[in-house]
Amino acid sequence: MSREATLRVYRGDRNGGEMIDYRVPVSPGMVVLDAIRSIQFHQSPDIGVRWNCKAGKCGSCGAEVNGRPRLMCMDRMDRYSPGEPIVVRPMKSFPIVKDLVNDVSWNFQVNKKIPAFKMRSDMERRFSQEEADRVQEFRKCIECFLCQNVCHVLRDHDLKPAFGGPRFLVRVAGLEMHPLDGEDRTELLRKDLGIGYCNITKCCTEVCPESIHITDNAIIPLKERLVDRFYDPLALLWRKVTGKR
Amino acid sequence: MAGPMETSSHDVLLVGGGGAGLRAAIAVAEMNPGLSIAVASKVYPMRSHTVSAEGGAAAVIKPEDSLDDHAYDTISGGDWLCDQDAVEAFVREAPEEMLRLEHWGCPWSREKDGRIAVRPFGGMKIERTWFAADKTGFHMLHTLYQTSLKYPTVTMHDEWFVTRLLVDEGRCQGVVAIELATGKVHAILAKAVILCTGGCGKVFHFTTNANIKTGDGMAFAYRAGVPLKDMEFVQYHPTGLPFTGILITEATRSEGGWLLNKDGYRYLQDYDLGKPEPKPVKRSMELGPRDRLSQAFVKEVEKGRTTETPHGQVVHLDIRHLGGKLIEAKLPFVRELCLKYENLDPVEELIPVRPVVHYKMGGVHTDIHGATPLPGLYAAGEVACVSINGANRLGSNSLTELLVFGARAGKAASRFAAAQPRSTRGVLVQAMDEEHRLHREFLEKTGGGERVSVLRTEMQQAMESGAGIYRDESGLRKSADKIQELQDRFKNVSLDDRSRTFNTELVACLELSNMLDLAGAIIQSGLQRRESRGAHQRTDHPERDDANLLAHSLAFRTETGPPRIEHLPVTITRWPPGERVYGR
Repeated sequence: MSREATLRVYRGDRNGGEMIDYRVPVSPGMVVLDAIRSIQFHQSPDIGVRWNCKAGKCGSCGAEVNGRPRLMCMDRMDRYSPGEPIVVRPMKSFPIVKDLVNDVSWNFQVNKKIPAFKMRSDMERRFSQEEADRVQEFRKCIECFLCQNVCHVLRDHDLKPAFGGPRFLVRVAGLEMHPLDGEDRTELLRKDLGIGYCNITKCCTEVCPESIHITDNAIIPLKERLVDRFYDPLALLWRKVTGKR
Repeated sequence: MAGPMETSSHDVLLVGGGGAGLRAAIAVAEMNPGLSIAVASKVYPMRSHTVSAEGGAAAVIKPEDSLDDHAYDTISGGDWLCDQDAVEAFVREAPEEMLRLEHWGCPWSREKDGRIAVRPFGGMKIERTWFAADKTGFHMLHTLYQTSLKYPTVTMHDEWFVTRLLVDEGRCQGVVAIELATGKVHAILAKAVILCTGGCGKVFHFTTNANIKTGDGMAFAYRAGVPLKDMEFVQYHPTGLPFTGILITEATRSEGGWLLNKDGYRYLQDYDLGKPEPKPVKRSMELGPRDRLSQAFVKEVEKGRTTETPHGQVVHLDIRHLGGKLIEAKLPFVRELCLKYENLDPVEELIPVRPVVHYKMGGVHTDIHGATPLPGLYAAGEVACVSINGANRLGSNSLTELLVFGARAGKAASRFAAAQPRSTRGVLVQAMDEEHRLHREFLEKTGGGERVSVLRTEMQQAMESGAGIYRDESGLRKSADKIQELQDRFKNVSLDDRSRTFNTELVACLELSNMLDLAGAIIQSGLQRRESRGAHQRTDHPERDDANLLAHSLAFRTETGPPRIEHLPVTITRWPPGERVYGR
């Protein structure tokens, strides 16, 4: 089947660039990443793109395809109407290094602020598969940073570094809700990660390629803990009286 | 090219930031907080291929299991090519390493009583495969990454591509690396270097391996005079999806999946692997070792009992009888992959599969502490060949291997580094020569005309045809000639991308030169092993030859022409060579 599609790809760097059209032959089962690689193989070997596993596991190939943040290796070409050009741009919220390669290093800076897992010494290492499932969901995050890219707090309001972003709220949830973790990260959520900036728009949940229920399962419960700790007058009084956490 | 070269110095340098690399870095930091450690990885560490491993990691935990059982399963699985002292150390240290990961926050899946769960796996007599949903490697890698960040003595160099080792006065003293974001060439001096760069599946056309698996570390050691061991042993995983090569985990079979040919027949019963039972039986049928299952597929193709598809011959993996509930609980990722990449739902349909290149048993020759014959150079993980996997690896031993030998190599390298003097002048000269070479031969070269992508495809096809599941003298020789031709043509390669910023074409070109060296070693080692053992099957020498070849192949690089092959006897301690028996 010799069908062809047009890919309109950003070529340039942080100083500027342009959109260039490429005609690419399409075969069944092809994904957008295959098309980009076809351009690299046959037409333009200097195109900058990160990719690796081609199976939705490594998180390298995040980009914006027709305006939607996606992993290019999971985006089938047959989703797109044959006549229309497919527009491929790098992620908007991070500086561009070259073409479709972003500088995502800020994310690693945020990560450093989060205290690591600390094993509790006051209980036996036994917990249910249900509790394991909860934590395994958050820890499924492949760090593709599409959620960071789409969150309007970072994308439009550019509130780095005050807001850590959905990825790191998920990371904290994966630690705080681990039955064997003994560390307390509530103050971190309030101050360093700025969880208050999240206003539950849920764009992050929509773009997550691992289908992690970021807002409902991670962010909202963490917000509730924060409120319990810092903003609930009855809870404050109770803690003063009983001396419990 | 402007200015003096950027140089940094550390005590221990890890090349590669996957499971083995990060475990080794942590081991160094814990053993000696006074040592400075650097990790140079060509991708962000959590993109390393460890992240793809699904099924699990083996370690003895059940009361009815024993270290000797794990050792025997591993040794027989490896068709007696495993060094038994290494295997004994491996099975002994495995449970402790796995438990340590729990203490670092890794969420192992649980039994009903809340304790750590284990599942059966191919070639193993008793359940001992620990798992975290069906993303075990992923969870292990992320746990290791976050733990490594706790140590202030570890410096991460993300997206730095190493191009060669620096060796002077008979010891390894560091590397040269390109910082991909800027194209700047760096010399990283180190008193000990640990290679953790993984395997080389990309030498083949159809592989589960990600783009980065180009065997760089193996090539660096090889060029520095270190032999590559058992390179002819390439594992074909029996169940890969036909077009993409994406892996369908062995766990699918340990949960009870069946392999069917085009007549709906569980064909493995014809290949001395036992009798079909409705539930999975350990070390039998679908839970046999990977080499035997992949070989059975080839026989089925020859008998005309496989199904033709646009992407080649396939058999089918049937998990319908497991039911949607179990599949969602134990194999959710398998279901997702089938839906996304094959447009089918395994709850109701059969999954088309065929054998796919998956793992390299062979690699850089090391002792049981991870030390290579070159002082100052260590290796751990898939890049190394200790050897615990012998002629065929059992599923779920590899993830554990990362931990056990990552830790061993880290500790050995720490001890060595603490006792070393400063680096010699000679290495800085070597580093500058390397920078000139990169410019002269790639970035500034005119003429040439050979394309990286074309040479790479021809290499992959030659390996696929000559070094497949079944091999013979003439097929191997043909591929050897082709690889030699490609090596010659590589001298005329030219790049379109001459920029310094994130030059992926330069990286692909350097990776290709690494792979061509490894392809030569694989073919030549295969030619010189005139027997069939484990994953290396010669139709012209179909029997195992313990009298002459109960030995490892060592491939030494020569200046021109194919590598020189020597043989090194296998270390046998308590298990003399026997028959590999499955299904009875």
